[in-house]
Amino acid sequence: MKSSHKGFADGALFALNVFILVLLLAGNSLVVPQWLQPAGRLHPLVLHFPIVILMLAMLMEFFRFRPEFVDEKLYQSFTNYLLVLGALFASVTVIMGLLLSREAGYEGSNLQWHKWFGVGVAFVGYGVYLIRNRERYTATIAKTGAIVTIFCLIMAGHFGGNITHGDDFVFGPIMDKDKKQVPINEALVYRDVIAPIFEAKCQSCHNADKTKGGLKLTDEESILKGGKKGKLFVVGNPQISLLLQRIHLPEAEKKHMPPIGKPQLTDEEKLLLYFWVKNNADFKKKVIDLPATDSLRIIASSFLKPAESTEETYDFSAASESDIKKLNNNYRVVYPLAAESPALAVNIYNKSTFNVKALEELSPISKQVVSLDLNKMPVKDADLKAVAKLENLRRLVLNFSDVTGKGLKELGGLKNLRSLSLAGVKLTPADIKQLSAIKSLTELAVWDTGLKPADFHSLQAGNKQLKVLTGFKDDGKPVKLTNPELKNKAVIFSESYPLQLTNPIKGVDIRYTTDNSAPDSARSLLYKRGTVLTQSTVIKARAYKQGWIGSDTVQFNVYKCRYTPDSVLFITRPDDKYKGDGAKTIIDKELGGTSFGNGKWLASQKDLEMMMWFNKPIEMHFLELNTMRNIGSQIFLAAAIEVWGGPDKDHLKLLSTLKTATPHKDDPFGLVPLTCKLKAAQTVSCLKIVAKPLKTVPDWHPAKGKPGWVFMDEVFIN
Amino acid sequence: MEKDFLESRLNINRRRFLSRLSLGIGSAALGSLLIPDLFSGKGEEAEADFIAGIPNFAPKAKRVIYLFQDGAPSQLESFDYKPKLREMMGQELPPSVRGNQILTGMTAKQASFPLVGSFYDFKQYGESRAWISDLFPHIGKIADDICIIRSMNTDAINHDPALTFFQTGAQQGNRPSMGSWVSYGLGSENKNLPAFTVLLSKGKGNGQGVYSKLWSNGFLDSIHQGVQFSSGEDPILYLNDPEGLNRHERRKMLDNLAALNDINYKEFGDPEINTKIQQYEMAYRMQTAVPEIMDVSKESDDIVKMYGPECLIPGTYAANCLLARKLSENGVRFVQLYHQGWDQHNNLPQEMAGQAKDVDQASAALVTDLKQRGLLDETLVIWGGEFGRTNYSQGKLDAANYGRDHHPRCFSVWMAGGGIKPGMVYGESDEFGYNIVKDPVHVHDFHATILNQLGIDHTKLTFKSQGRRYRLTDVAGNVVKGIIT
Repeated sequence: MKSSHKGFADGALFALNVFILVLLLAGNSLVVPQWLQPAGRLHPLVLHFPIVILMLAMLMEFFRFRPEFVDEKLYQSFTNYLLVLGALFASVTVIMGLLLSREAGYEGSNLQWHKWFGVGVAFVGYGVYLIRNRERYTATIAKTGAIVTIFCLIMAGHFGGNITHGDDFVFGPIMDKDKKQVPINEALVYRDVIAPIFEAKCQSCHNADKTKGGLKLTDEESILKGGKKGKLFVVGNPQISLLLQRIHLPEAEKKHMPPIGKPQLTDEEKLLLYFWVKNNADFKKKVIDLPATDSLRIIASSFLKPAESTEETYDFSAASESDIKKLNNNYRVVYPLAAESPALAVNIYNKSTFNVKALEELSPISKQVVSLDLNKMPVKDADLKAVAKLENLRRLVLNFSDVTGKGLKELGGLKNLRSLSLAGVKLTPADIKQLSAIKSLTELAVWDTGLKPADFHSLQAGNKQLKVLTGFKDDGKPVKLTNPELKNKAVIFSESYPLQLTNPIKGVDIRYTTDNSAPDSARSLLYKRGTVLTQSTVIKARAYKQGWIGSDTVQFNVYKCRYTPDSVLFITRPDDKYKGDGAKTIIDKELGGTSFGNGKWLASQKDLEMMMWFNKPIEMHFLELNTMRNIGSQIFLAAAIEVWGGPDKDHLKLLSTLKTATPHKDDPFGLVPLTCKLKAAQTVSCLKIVAKPLKTVPDWHPAKGKPGWVFMDEVFIN
Repeated sequence: MEKDFLESRLNINRRRFLSRLSLGIGSAALGSLLIPDLFSGKGEEAEADFIAGIPNFAPKAKRVIYLFQDGAPSQLESFDYKPKLREMMGQELPPSVRGNQILTGMTAKQASFPLVGSFYDFKQYGESRAWISDLFPHIGKIADDICIIRSMNTDAINHDPALTFFQTGAQQGNRPSMGSWVSYGLGSENKNLPAFTVLLSKGKGNGQGVYSKLWSNGFLDSIHQGVQFSSGEDPILYLNDPEGLNRHERRKMLDNLAALNDINYKEFGDPEINTKIQQYEMAYRMQTAVPEIMDVSKESDDIVKMYGPECLIPGTYAANCLLARKLSENGVRFVQLYHQGWDQHNNLPQEMAGQAKDVDQASAALVTDLKQRGLLDETLVIWGGEFGRTNYSQGKLDAANYGRDHHPRCFSVWMAGGGIKPGMVYGESDEFGYNIVKDPVHVHDFHATILNQLGIDHTKLTFKSQGRRYRLTDVAGNVVKGIIT
């Protein structure tokens, strides 16, 4: 370095530092002329030079006295150049910074710290430069100077950053921003809805450090005060409020807020601010105090935590996972109430495997169980001792257990119990008094306990919040019984028929007749188990019970069929649509039911002839053919039935002929067994049955002139 | 297997490791640029947001009983009182009211759309003074226990898609049923019974079928499928042991089968094998648990009078309601009933009276019964069909005989218990009962609300299938906060 240059640099450095001193001492009284302001605003640009240069210079200064560098000419003089350059830039930057800080909007602790560290950099850097070639300058001093300068540099940089970008700019994205969501029922309009908007979008320029436009948006007082241009809003009138005007200006507009390049307000946020001002810009109101239809509340409730999930917080710690796992088995389910909740619910099932151990084993989780379901378990009074140890129990279901009133006193110690279900447990009014010890109780289910609502008055007097659920009460109006049912699987039998009539309602009398007359409650036979029928019978039955209305009359037909042919064949085939399962349909012991199209019926419009064989000769008295009459569907009774019999198919004799009466228009639908009686008992091995349909349908029928259909589903041979 | 591991280890040496690493880091960097959340830790979290079997937050309801009225009962003869329609009987539906609503093929070609008021009168019930038709006197008596939503709406206008939409959250029918989602989300409370059961009944009215796709597990594990309980001797098909096989033999057989399956599992590690073992075991335990539940002989006379004596006749709606209570009481998470026969395109006054008689008393009894056992708080009962019916008559309008076509824009359902506000009416339709004027509740909202009551955040209950995460509420649904206590 030429000495003239060096001298100039030294001089300038000295002058600048003196100027800094003057600026610092003059403080607030100094007014920055307008033409100098651009110089101040260059501060954020220039400051990068001293950072880099001084950093490098101080690093070299730090190692300056190392033996390998001490005699390096280049090293020593280069360090000197760097130092003087760095100190110069530092001083210039400080001066610019001080000028800038005089502008409006810069204040606060970040600024103060930045200022003093910045000044520190300039002074210490200059100091090091001044003394670094003195005699007494040692390695220790060099190192100390370097460290102090670098420290000041870092701190000045840090606080400077905070001023321009806001606090936590660097680590913001990775810091846990997941602030606890506020449940809607606790949220305040300002604190939880409006303030977060200011915080996110406005406060980087309108905070305690940096009050652009004289506006601070950090607290109620400053918000109400407004900025240089006046108050922020006219309460209740968003249209003429400055805040709303500024945020709604077109983005290109200079006064648009937030300025271009900064994060903009979303439409929702603009709306929220609008409604807030419209609702008188209240700072204290709760969100739920607004009417449910209020737009602000509707928008706010979309991002606030819903009130219903304000979960109860439990002050106990979670049970160990392995304990929970161990306690879970096929008949005892232990599960957490919710993810990350320490509270547990326990359900116990299966009467036959229940014993008190199922409860005693819960001791490792006795703190955590808040809900216990013992519905229909044979829990004894003594077992409740184990239940009483579950100190945090909120809900207990003892419906239809074996507990009696005496056991209830065990529950007195459950200080957190809120809901207790005792349906189906037999209790006396005295038993219920024991529950008065449980002050926390809010719901008590006592249906079917034998108690009346009046029995709970004293309990409810002591606990105003208690809701007693007594449930259904029979209003005494008689109810109609359901019909008797025939429980037997088959309705066709060969020898005897153990009649099984039932009704699902307990204590019902079933009265029946076998003579086709209507049953009544006095004279008709009372059905008893063990009743046996030996003949085909038409049973008409009705159910009766004291205090109930008798059921409808129902009819059951049961058929005796002594002999079943061993084989059967068609001689003439039935109609293709109604051929059932072939000829065996007639002897399959299955009736066709009321629907003719279900494939269980055989039918024809021509003579239907069938042949049957018996391996052993039978003694036949009569034969019944079960047929259908459904005149609307052109199904008539057979006009005639012929029964032929003999030892084999070549020696058959006509044994019986049945002719039916001429059909009448009003003949009802029915399943009609047609009986062909033999004059005398006959021993036969082979039978032929001929069913002749009605030749021509009578004139009153729409299908007049055509042949009728004959339908049959079963034959009974006795 | 072992050989593969060895080979894989030998394939890695230092050089390969480093060259791969550089590639890996490069692609990770690229990946993080393309998928911003890749390293934020949020992705992981989102996955972990939902742990199958545990609610997100403490639930109000632990169980659901859904009384589905299949075929779509008319809201105008049940819970949505519209005196204006009686005043305007026979007058034309104003086009301004109909707007751009598309009609079904059944009435689209109808020359006129005569408005028709309810054949049945309405009365106000309870402290809530809710209007309920004379067809439902028993439900009227529990008016203070239920929340009637008069502003339901759906996307579909025909039975199958609408029913499928209600049951699965989508109209196409390849998704898991709501009950399956709940089973997946909450797990089983009682390991001896399926978490999701289905009960069917049929009224005499014009009906629409129900089919097993409605209670299918879709892409969820098959353990979440709805199990149908039928009336008759075998409530669950194939549950009983074959004749001649005693329980001891069955146990031995299951043990040996499990041992074989276990060997298979160790070899292939397919989780479905474990599911299978579990299902066999559950079926074994169900063999004792189910007969106990199906046995109604111990029910008291009071219960019979409450539900009506029909409740003792298997296969009736009343019997299914009673059974639903018993299943629910025993920890079945989701009991789905279907009562068929609500599709009154004609002959509505008569058919609907029959349908209402089938369900009125037993539906009300179920709510009362749960309440008196202290279980209504934790059991959510839902009553409703797949859509509503038109305010104009389908076919010829007669003073005592008319029909109503499908109407998706507005209809009524009610809920009770499970943290739903009792004694309230939510939402409002216009005076024609055609459009919603206040607080609409879409099917997605309905689903979101039900899941919410069960402690599940509907946006977090997801299952990844074929590269996409699915939800019951698809990408929609808002919890209806107005009906929640």
